[in-house]
Amino acid sequence: MGGSTKLLLQRLIRRIPYQMLQTMLGKWAHLSNADLHSLNFTQPKWVLTEHLLALCEEKGLTVKHITELEMIYIIENPNQGMWHGFQLLDAEEDAPSIELTQFKEQFKANLTELISHVSIKIKKHTDEAIWIRVAWGDNFTKPNHLKPTYVVHHLQTPYVFVTGMTSKDKPLLNQALVLATRYGSMKDAHLSGRNLIAIRDLLTRQYQQVGLGPVPYGPYKNPNIENEQPENTENRLQMACEAFGDGTLPQLQKAVYKLETKFRDNSNKTLTGRKEPFRGVVEFSSTNLLESLRHCVSSGMASTPVTPLLSSITQKGRNYFVITDKGV
Amino acid sequence: MIRRIYLTSMLNDAVIDYCSLSRFQLHHGKARCSKSTSVFFSVMEERSSIVKTPLNNVLAQRRSKSYRRSMRSCVEATNLGYTSGHLTVLRIPRSRRTPKSRDITKQVDPDQVALLVRKEWELSYVTPLYQFRHTQLKSYSKHLSAFIVSEKQQGLAIEVGQELGFKVNFSVVLGLAETDEDAETVFIQILSRQAFAAKDDAQKVVWSGWLTCVNGDLEFLRSLPSEFVSLPLLCTRGPESLTVLVKSWFEKTFDCCFGPLGINSANLQWLAALWIGCHPTINIQYLKLVWTLPTLPPMDVKYTIHPQDAWELWDSVRQDDTTDVSIEEVTRFIKGLQSHFFRHFRIELSAGSLKQVSTALGSSHHSGKIKIASPTYITTILQLLTECALLKMPI
Repeated sequence: MGGSTKLLLQRLIRRIPYQMLQTMLGKWAHLSNADLHSLNFTQPKWVLTEHLLALCEEKGLTVKHITELEMIYIIENPNQGMWHGFQLLDAEEDAPSIELTQFKEQFKANLTELISHVSIKIKKHTDEAIWIRVAWGDNFTKPNHLKPTYVVHHLQTPYVFVTGMTSKDKPLLNQALVLATRYGSMKDAHLSGRNLIAIRDLLTRQYQQVGLGPVPYGPYKNPNIENEQPENTENRLQMACEAFGDGTLPQLQKAVYKLETKFRDNSNKTLTGRKEPFRGVVEFSSTNLLESLRHCVSSGMASTPVTPLLSSITQKGRNYFVITDKGV
Repeated sequence: MIRRIYLTSMLNDAVIDYCSLSRFQLHHGKARCSKSTSVFFSVMEERSSIVKTPLNNVLAQRRSKSYRRSMRSCVEATNLGYTSGHLTVLRIPRSRRTPKSRDITKQVDPDQVALLVRKEWELSYVTPLYQFRHTQLKSYSKHLSAFIVSEKQQGLAIEVGQELGFKVNFSVVLGLAETDEDAETVFIQILSRQAFAAKDDAQKVVWSGWLTCVNGDLEFLRSLPSEFVSLPLLCTRGPESLTVLVKSWFEKTFDCCFGPLGINSANLQWLAALWIGCHPTINIQYLKLVWTLPTLPPMDVKYTIHPQDAWELWDSVRQDDTTDVSIEEVTRFIKGLQSHFFRHFRIELSAGSLKQVSTALGSSHHSGKIKIASPTYITTILQLLTECALLKMPI
């Protein structure tokens, strides 16, 4: 096992939390049951790593096998790093009928044509999602397996999710994906976050929207406390749920608005007449942004009706906006 | 150790009631200070102590109809020092001088300025230090390093990596003090040598801190008895374990008290106004304000404004008076930003609190962290912080 292979395996083992290590290794096809039994999972991690390295060396495992283990780990724990959403546009006639094997062949062929040294691994997960791992090299260097890009795509949908991509690799990946999926182009959906499922749900608008009827969400009501103006509270609650959704909301961390609108304030006459926009960038951040915004509206910190700037996050499935006087 | 209690409220019945518990002799409803004693007293503190006053005490001659009246006149006419606690409300300024850009390196050694800028400091306030001498800094260095070494060896602070020894360096930063009453700034560095380091290896600075007083309230400083030195602002940077040790050594040696100093939203707004006002002379590159809204879970709103646009807004709220900046102008500036924000998002930022203000010239955080990136306006910022420290002191 070469030095870089060892390093890759060491880094990977270090990354996987100890509790998950046994299950991950169990799913890995390259260690037999006997091998797994020979490893002592009660030892300190660094001792176990040494044993594992020795075992893999014995079996002559290569980078290809190690990347399989990495993929298993990432698919189970995708919420590491930033995921970005993309949308495919201009479907061609045969786009809806693309099959997995066809896609795989096309993608590999396209990408290797564009860049000679690249390592691709494609895997279909149980929930119909295709996971692609790409390690990038260039004309002179071998693929760098320490910084791979992961792509998730559901066949027959126009959505793609990517993490770990640099601006250099972006056009190549775009082109390969577009050709393999038989679409015309791919554009940035302006949606990003750490939680893959949240990003997917927001972009595909698959999470539960509020319907008509009683609203289950609401702060805990103490029976001994009577709210003044209960209609206003109910109203705010209703509007909040309409704008952001009912029940559990997808976990989004940030929303960024680039403001390029004119300054208008009745109390400030001097600046109101100004022609140039009052430039600024507003960033909302929270551990669960949509929950915070919903609470903001239902508690009255935000005035109703909810501004389209905020409700666009869920209605349009994006979290980066450029606001000009003409609209979003 | 003699402790002092300070009079905090003049025309206050509570004071008078407290007085009755003190060492005044009450004769038939009259109060009289005994000749040989004089008392500084405070409503809050239970500490009491006596200090001898000069023998020709004016008070002994006063006789009035009621002890209350005599108390009041006693307090008013006496040359007993009083802290400006009762003036607290008056002392929070409603307007400040426009800061003038100044090359601080003309007054202070540039190397020492470099020690203070471009680093993030954590703020605390300090009560006046008893018998602190700027001439004894070498001896303080030795004592503090011995103290730290002994405390560390006791196993009170557990650190990974054995340090062979600590060396402490006290030094004076001349030139930051603005008035005659300001004491000179004292800079403290703790250096350590790693185990197995060669003799000539440079020691690494593991902790630094400085005590300062810039344009402190003159009345307060003049009212302090001569044995006390007031350096109310402490800025520290380094491991918490060392900060705790330094503070406890100061507390033991100079009988003072430390406490955390935060920067409230009013002062953050003053700093924002200060920095935006600098924009014509120095490009601040951006003005960033961060509010925290009390939603569940809490949400941060970061508003970064283009410096030129922010400056035009600031200019439009400024009256023609260029020497002073009033708090109304600062409030109008922040309100302008909040209403522009409201117009878009319909969220009231005043429902939350301002937590952080930063520009390329520096940044300040509500929890009491400050970073001064450019030395040009350092005296103005330190003056504001000294004022905060003096106001927060429990005197």
